[in-house]
Amino acid sequence: MFEFAIFFFFAAVAVIFALVVVLHHNPVVGALSLVASFFALAVMYVLLEAPFLAALQVIVYAGAIMVLFLFVIMLLNLQHQPEEPTRPVQQFLGYTSSATFLIGLVYYIVKYAAFTALPAGPFNSDAGLIGAEIFQAYIFPFEMVSILLLAAIVGALLLSSRSVGARAQ
Amino acid sequence: MIPTHWFLILSAVLFAIGVCGVLTRKNGITIFMSIELMVNAVNLTFVAYARQFHQLHGLIFVFFVMAIAAAEAAVGLAIFISLFHHRETIDVDEANLMHW
Repeated sequence: MFEFAIFFFFAAVAVIFALVVVLHHNPVVGALSLVASFFALAVMYVLLEAPFLAALQVIVYAGAIMVLFLFVIMLLNLQHQPEEPTRPVQQFLGYTSSATFLIGLVYYIVKYAAFTALPAGPFNSDAGLIGAEIFQAYIFPFEMVSILLLAAIVGALLLSSRSVGARAQ
Repeated sequence: MIPTHWFLILSAVLFAIGVCGVLTRKNGITIFMSIELMVNAVNLTFVAYARQFHQLHGLIFVFFVMAIAAAEAAVGLAIFISLFHHRETIDVDEANLMHW
């Protein structure tokens, strides 16, 4: 029962802050709400017996990626730029199509994926097991991801520095 | 123990909110944050199924998705910085150089 209370509280937190991200006009408020939403998702990972991923969620997502977002928003000084409202047709189509999509998704989850059988026993997923699996079975994808991250860093530096140079000329 | 389908429904709600943000907003960074929201919804589904079937592979996939999301955020934000320097705005409707 206590577990359910925690689940519904943090599910409500995640959904409300996600709505703030989508509906608020100020991107700084949006980015901070997204951090709150990611913290609530980290609680979900703890409830799902994946504490290592919960730690990664807080450190990598709420820590590193969202700091990058906030840094760019504040660097570009966007909070004073009013966003033009989208056309009513686009808003109507966006809201109705995403609501239809949500209804369809929930319908199919309830119809086909409502597991009556709970998972048997506790799920042991500590960092040691995940690390062993990554460095044995998934060693090639792991190395590919490290090369991809390096390429992304070089690409990001090139993109942003060239634009600064072009502006100075 | 909470049944798996509650997590799946929460994930569906977060994904639909992200879709709504991508479809209705014009601010490039807000659209980008909505995409991050969708990525996180999919991660939640992976973790929920990993617990349901007692498989570590789902958790490892989430690990890789986080690494890819970091790379995507770095490159995407660099593109927005570049766009801002050229156009003085990050309204995605203004980035219409290749528009017909």
